[in-house]
Formats: sequence, C-alpha cells, structure tokens
Amino acid sequence: MKLYLLFALLLLGCGLALGKFDDFDDTDDIIEYDDNDFAEFEDASDDVPQEVPQKVTTVQDDEEEATVEVEDQDENQEEFEDPDAAGEGDAEGEPFDDEEFEGYEEADRPSSRSKDPIKIVNVPHHLQNSWESYYMEILMVTGLLAYIMNYMIGKNKNNRLATAWFNSHKELLESNFSLVGDDGINKEPTSTGKLNQENEHIYNLWCSGRVCCEGMLIQLKFLKRQDLLNVLARMMRPASDQVQIKVTMNEEDMDTYVFAIGSRKAMVRMQKEMQDLSEFCSDKPKSGIKFGLPDSLSILSEMGEVTEGVLDNRMVHFLSNHADKIESVHFSDQFSGAKIMQEEGQPLKLPDTKKTLLFTFNVPGISNTSPKDMESLLPLMNMVIYSIDKAKKYRLNREGKMKADKNRARVEENFLKMTHAQRQEAAQTRREEKKRAEKERIMNEEDPEKQRRLEEAALRREQKKLEKRQMKMKQIKVKAM
Amino acid sequence: MADPRRPNKILRYKPPASDNNPTLEDPTPDYMNLLGMIFSMCGLMLKLKWCAWIAVYCSFISFANSRSSEDTKQMMSSCELSISAVVMSYLQNPQPMSPPW
Repeated sequence: MKLYLLFALLLLGCGLALGKFDDFDDTDDIIEYDDNDFAEFEDASDDVPQEVPQKVTTVQDDEEEATVEVEDQDENQEEFEDPDAAGEGDAEGEPFDDEEFEGYEEADRPSSRSKDPIKIVNVPHHLQNSWESYYMEILMVTGLLAYIMNYMIGKNKNNRLATAWFNSHKELLESNFSLVGDDGINKEPTSTGKLNQENEHIYNLWCSGRVCCEGMLIQLKFLKRQDLLNVLARMMRPASDQVQIKVTMNEEDMDTYVFAIGSRKAMVRMQKEMQDLSEFCSDKPKSGIKFGLPDSLSILSEMGEVTEGVLDNRMVHFLSNHADKIESVHFSDQFSGAKIMQEEGQPLKLPDTKKTLLFTFNVPGISNTSPKDMESLLPLMNMVIYSIDKAKKYRLNREGKMKADKNRARVEENFLKMTHAQRQEAAQTRREEKKRAEKERIMNEEDPEKQRRLEEAALRREQKKLEKRQMKMKQIKVKAM
Repeated sequence: MADPRRPNKILRYKPPASDNNPTLEDPTPDYMNLLGMIFSMCGLMLKLKWCAWIAVYCSFISFANSRSSEDTKQMMSSCELSISAVVMSYLQNPQPMSPPW
C-alpha cells in the first residue's frame, strides 16, 4: 500500500513539473523558477542559467530592456529545441555569441536601427537663401548676354567688311558713274558717297549717270553675323557673303537675247525660278568646257550664237580667273524677276520686262571672311563695267534676230492661249454684270410706260446681236467653202 | 578713254522691295515678334517662368533680324512686354525656375 502511495505521489509530482514547463513562455515566471524544476532537463538547464546572466548583461547594455527580454525568451525556446547548437560557442565567455542566438541579429537590428542617422529632409527652396538654387536664371541671363555680345561683334564685322568693300571700289565707281550713292530721299540727286544700310547684314548702293545704262544697284548681302542662332546654324551649313549687282540697261542699248552662266547648282535653280530663263532657255545647262571655261561653270543660252557672241576672249579670261567667286551672270532683255505663283492661276497680263544685266558674286573666305577678301572682288567689278559696254556693242546678226523675234512671239502666243479661257470668263462676267444692271434699272422704273419702252429697247438690242452673230457664222461658212 | 559719266542721265534710287511684300524675303523678324508676344502673354497669364524667358529671347532675335524699314516702336514694345512678363512672374513667385528634367 505504501509503495502504491509513493508511486502515485511521484506521478503527481511529474505531472506538476510538466505543467510548469508548459507555462515556461510566461515572462513573469522566469524569475520564480528554481533549479529543481529543471531537474529532468539537465542538458538544457546548464545553458539556461548561463544564458540568463548573459542575457542580463546584454540587457543592461541595450537601452530597451523589455523588448530584448521578450525576444530572448523566444530564442531560449529555440535553443531548447536544438540543444546541440546551444552547446557550442560558449567557451570563450563573450557577452554574446553570434552562433548561439539564431535571429539575434534580428533582435539587434531594431536597436541598431534606432542608432541610424536621422533622415534629413531637403529644406524647400524658398526657405533657402543661396544663389545656387537660381542656376537656371543665371544660365538664361548668361545666354542673353552672350547673344548681345554676339550681336555687337557681328554687326561690327559686317560694317567693317562693307566699308572695306566700298573703299576699294569707290574709285572705280566714281570714275564710271556721276551719281554714287543715293538714298532716294534727298530732293536733289547728289552723291551721298556712302552705302545705304538697310539692315545689320544688307547694304545698298545706287549708282547712276552713265552711258548705256539707267543705273546700277549693288547689294552687299552679308551673313547674319549679328544673330547668334544664325551663327550656330551656319556651323552646320557653311554659306558665304554675296554681292549682287543689277544693271538696268537703256532700251536702245541692248539687243534681244537671254543668256546666263554660273555654277551648275545656280543655273539649275535659276532655270526653274526665273521667268525668262524658263521660257527662253529650255535646254539643260551646258558645261563651259567647250568655250575654254572651267567645268564648274554651266551655260544657259537662248541660242548658240548668243553664247559665242557674249563669251569673247576677255570675258572668258575674267570668268576663268574668278570662277570660284562667280555664282551667276545673267543677261536678259526679258527680265521680269522670279516666277510669280498666283492663286487664281496665270496672271492676265504679261509681266513687265526690263533689259537687265545681273551679277551674283560669292565673297571668298567662307569660314572667316576678312576685309582683304572684299578687296579681291575689284576685278569682278571691272568685269561688270566691261559687260555693260559689251552689251551696248554686241548686236545679233539677221538670222539671230529673226530667231529671237520668233521666240518672243511664240512665248507671247503661249501666254495668250493659256489665259484665253480666263480672259473669256472675265469678259463673260462683265457682260452679265451689264445685263443685270440694266434689268435692275428697268425694274426700278416706276412709270409702266417707260418700263415697257425700256424693255422693248433691250429686246431690239438682243435681236440685233443675234443677227450679227448669224451673219458672222454665214461668212465663216462661206470662207471655209 | 572717253568719260562714260553722264550727269544729265541720272535716275533717282527707288527702293526695290517697295512693290513686293518684304515678308516674302525674310519672315524671321515678324515670326519672332509674334512668337514673343504669344509667349509673354502665356507667361503672364499662366505664370510660367520659362515662357517669359523664351519671350525675351524671341524679342531679342526679332530685334537682331529686323529691317530698317520696320517700326522701332513695335520692337521696343515687344521687348518691354517680354521683360515685364519675366519680372511679373518673379514678383508673384520668387521661387527659382525648376528645370523640366
């Protein structure tokens, strides 16, 4: 009996111990545990009292004790489940061992996280007082200043080039023209002796008072050096300054022919754009080699005789020596400018033509033109003067003249044919307008007698017209027979 | 060589572009003028700083390309309008301009 009682007590004791082990998770109870409670779990219990003081020390090291304890409890649970791992790494007596505590880094992390530097939010711009935040504005102002600087420099350069050109050409012009420089505003035609500045990059000079010609307009068309955008665009696409000369000839001092010579590109372009070249010079531009000129020059001519007549030795000499500077040379008695594209179709009247000599020269030194380059154009001005005198002297022979007259008649006829329909329409509308006006007059007439009389008169007029038309038709039939 | 000059045959200078529309030859100053006005109105109404700055640039480009026959008053008024657009934008909102990237 006593044995049975002892056995039962033992069993009860085991059951109680097991029950207490289940409550091990409760943090409040950790301090109440005695070593006796862990008698059955000797392996694990050896670690626990060692771990707890370690934990205590680590807890003391950390700032937040409570959270660390809880997590340590969890770790202890894991340790008990894996006693082998718990057995290692304790020998050195460090405050804590990485290998012992799985997940300790996780526990440590929140504490280490709390040590992270405070995140500094950027102070809004308007609260800052530094100039650095205005860098876009500074850029803009710098850009504007650069533009203004370029404007001044470009304008000055163009001015210097124009002055250099004029100074080198002044003597020649004054010896050939009695009026050199006219702004058109002065009451009396006196030589101003200087260029008209139309723009920061365009200068004009009007010369007049010479045999053979009415006048000569010289335009110095420089590059837009004063505009920074243009300067930058020209870095991609180089271009050169141009001198354009237009000599208006007297009616009696030039024969009837159309002729052009220049660079191939310019000739192709002008054949499309210019009214007279497209009508009279229908062939493709021919190379100038046949006439002893460089291959770079092409010729557009109304007829072969004109080419031979214009290109005499001296002209060939001029053109060969300065072929690189010549953009185009255009002699025409039918010059009316570029083709006009009208919306209603062809214009009803042929455009006015003038006997003109046109010259376009390119200034050498594309990338960096200097005043010396402007002076190098002087021989070309000599060529212009020579051409004026030549145009007066050169006359077509009889055959050539007949051909030229035929050409002009042909062009006029074509033009009339094309506009015939339009002219008919215009005449028709005019007639209708007249009829309408008369009808209105009749309607507005209050007196019935007068109205009747006017109507009768209109009827009579209509009948007369019909009769006339019938007569004409009869006459045509008779002629045809 | 005989003197080729003939003082009795003098013809006065007639500006060649008086008949033709000068805009056909070079429309840049007119376009830039118009653009400048549009941008300065946008800058003023919508309070966009970059519009106002572009307007200033447009009016400067228009001035640089302008012909002598054009009215200087119009150029000056366009310049002043664009500068006033910039000033007004900054008075209303002194924050610096932020780049679009």
